[in-house]
Amino acid sequence: MKVNKNLLRNAGERVLLTGNEAIARGIIEAGAGITTAFPGTPSTQILDNLGPIAQQLGFHAEHSVNEAVAFEVAAGAALAGVRSVMVTKMLGVNLIADPLLVIAITGVNAGLVVVTADDPGQHSSQNAEDTRYFGMLGKIPVLEPMDGQEAKDMTKYAFELSEELQLPVFVRITSRICHSYFDVTFGEITPPKREGHFEKDPKRYVMVSTLSRARQPILTEKINRAAVINETNPWNKVILIDKGEITTKTNPFKTEFGIIASGLTYPYVEEVLEKTKVSAKVLKLATTYPLPKQLLNDYFEGLEKVLIIEECEPVTEMQVRAFAQREGIEVIIHGKEDQIMPRIGELNPDLVGGGIEKLFKVKFSEELTKPYLEVEEMLTKRVPALCAGCPHRATYYSIKEALRKSKKGGVILGDRGCYNQGVHEPIAGIDTCICMGASIAMASGMYQSGVKEPILAVIGDGTFLHSGIPSLLNAVQHKSKITVIIFDNSITGMTGHQPNACTGRNLMGEPTPEVDLVNIVNGLGIENIKVIESFQTELLQDTITRHLEDDGPKVIISRGECAILAGRERRITNEKVIRARVTVENCTGCKICMKKLGCPAFGWSSGENEHLLILPNCNGCGLCVQVCPQLAISIPREIQIPLKTKQVVAGK
Amino acid sequence: MNIIICGVGGNGVILTTRILAQAAMKEGFNVRIGASHGLAIRGGTVVSYLRIGSDAKGVIMPQRSGDILLAFEPLEALRQMKLLKDNAKVLLNNDPYIGVDAHLGLSDYPELDEIISRLSETQELVEIEASKLAIKAGSQVMTNVVMLGSLASSEELPIKRDTLLNTVLDMVPPQTVESNKRAFEYGEQAFHEKQN
Repeated sequence: MKVNKNLLRNAGERVLLTGNEAIARGIIEAGAGITTAFPGTPSTQILDNLGPIAQQLGFHAEHSVNEAVAFEVAAGAALAGVRSVMVTKMLGVNLIADPLLVIAITGVNAGLVVVTADDPGQHSSQNAEDTRYFGMLGKIPVLEPMDGQEAKDMTKYAFELSEELQLPVFVRITSRICHSYFDVTFGEITPPKREGHFEKDPKRYVMVSTLSRARQPILTEKINRAAVINETNPWNKVILIDKGEITTKTNPFKTEFGIIASGLTYPYVEEVLEKTKVSAKVLKLATTYPLPKQLLNDYFEGLEKVLIIEECEPVTEMQVRAFAQREGIEVIIHGKEDQIMPRIGELNPDLVGGGIEKLFKVKFSEELTKPYLEVEEMLTKRVPALCAGCPHRATYYSIKEALRKSKKGGVILGDRGCYNQGVHEPIAGIDTCICMGASIAMASGMYQSGVKEPILAVIGDGTFLHSGIPSLLNAVQHKSKITVIIFDNSITGMTGHQPNACTGRNLMGEPTPEVDLVNIVNGLGIENIKVIESFQTELLQDTITRHLEDDGPKVIISRGECAILAGRERRITNEKVIRARVTVENCTGCKICMKKLGCPAFGWSSGENEHLLILPNCNGCGLCVQVCPQLAISIPREIQIPLKTKQVVAGK
Repeated sequence: MNIIICGVGGNGVILTTRILAQAAMKEGFNVRIGASHGLAIRGGTVVSYLRIGSDAKGVIMPQRSGDILLAFEPLEALRQMKLLKDNAKVLLNNDPYIGVDAHLGLSDYPELDEIISRLSETQELVEIEASKLAIKAGSQVMTNVVMLGSLASSEELPIKRDTLLNTVLDMVPPQTVESNKRAFEYGEQAFHEKQN
């Protein structure tokens, strides 16, 4: 991966950065010694940006094998007195909860920051959970920046807060912050310190029940102290807005209406008030857990109703309501719980405006008049597809053909990765997709529950390493009759080609041993392993068909290079793609190629003699050549199937 | 000023937005780019919002507040119409990307003429044959630069022509500077021809 020179610009410079890059810079400015993550949209690029410059600046950066490991690596450093950060999308917090909630009890000896990216609106996630609940669950402070500048500055500050409290700290962002661009002014870089030293103290670090119990009061004291520190957090601000305009005059300004906004919703509020000319006392809240009590007490002075605006769940709202009740403050609190604000989806200025419109008789949103509404009806969604030349398409084709010919049905348990794009027509190759690594264990569960159809699990190499290994071990011990197909491209493709243990290098670019999946699978006790190139569809089909009869768990490793990477390699070596060609006279327009493969390189010539067109994005994989019953497609080269990746072993 | 840039994955929507933002920063403006891309899906919908100057507030803009739409694909232009003010300037690359799903009847792609007439009904539409001009300049990859050339000619931007061109040339691979310059100029010419 390339060095992003923007991140190394001088203090004082103003640079256009994504939220992800801003956080990476914040980590550099804080002088973190250990930085870890597991790739996951939307926050992947934080570590992607840190990896290539880590050795130059003297810190360690890794995409770890999974999130729990990533957090534990960071926690080890924090106990050894080295500043560390773990970055994850929100679903990864579910995995780190186990160590995180105990590290909160031991405490840390250097700043330990967890950056968590929630995904309201589910741009790229299987749920829309709100990780601030984990803050409350583990008594871990949560900071929420509203833009790129705050994302950078608050990340740096999070290390200081963590050290002051000797407690991990969350920086909570959302996908929109991750991917949006902001002009950010840089601060000084702190050189990272990595002179770790672990001072033994079993009473503090050996969390058996008796010793842990003794430390609970310390944790409670810390989170209470955090609330006091948050009173003076410089990013918490009360802003007076007089008929739409920000004012510093407290007199004669008067309003009974308050708005509390956190994260990137604050600028939406400002914009809505400006346009509607509403007056309000706005609290821009950066410390959403624990709440600063005195600040809130002062803020509530004179207010009769308060609207709470936040992404995902009513986490601030519930706390504020409880606070007002406890303090005996008479105020009506509006938000998601009374449906003034939507609880589902991502907020935007129009939705914030909608909430304010409900409480006041004002108008924010421009109506969509007839021509605009008519257009809305014409908009069909584009169906995502696997890339042209993707080896996963060939594997899915083989699985589906083998099952179709067997006439026994079949259940295909899917997993998380590019290959879950295989859910869409026309491939329609997976029946489930739950979470990282669920495919194999759930396949076992289906077999043990008496499902009679053939049961298959499909999982990529990165996901198999992440959490498929224990599931497969479990299937071996309980003799589950399942066929596991590992889609092996030896890289974490979906999130932008991060190296994993199979790749042969790490995030910092160091060469590492290429871990062989065959050895791992074999070591788990599987005898029946076949390694087949993905585009050898006949061999793949035959093997799957045979496996449907065999008892116990079987593994097929379907190997093929990621089409995007192969394309990049070709551009570097100036190798020309040999694209598929259509012999127009032979094409009958049956569309079997489209119905079975749905390749994005397929176009269609309409008119009298309808026929397939091959578009310039064809990567020359040759799969359509194998599928066309009319022999209307060909590739002008000697070997029709690209066999180039790794040596194909016949299997045992 | 609010500018919407849209297209499908692979069009260079985000890069184009960054170029415009960088140029606006050079002219001393505050900027915000709102973007969200889920998975790197080739051929999927991509949109970003560039907010310049006093509009550089939230990263998402309110509906019906867009001043300019730079669209690399017709259906995607239509998809963003609700974000536009009446009579906003729409620069459209009239080159439809019809996915396999539409060929299979899983989704419909409206007729190009229909899209054009819908857009012209409420907006000031200028069609640019940007894909073709980019190929003429050297590669279809430069379609976005052709569009930027047209946008510079429209005199809608608070950014000087040379500032924008130089920002383009700074941000593209060094060996492609000449062809990108050509692409930008083709875009300028195309816009002027449309106006005459």
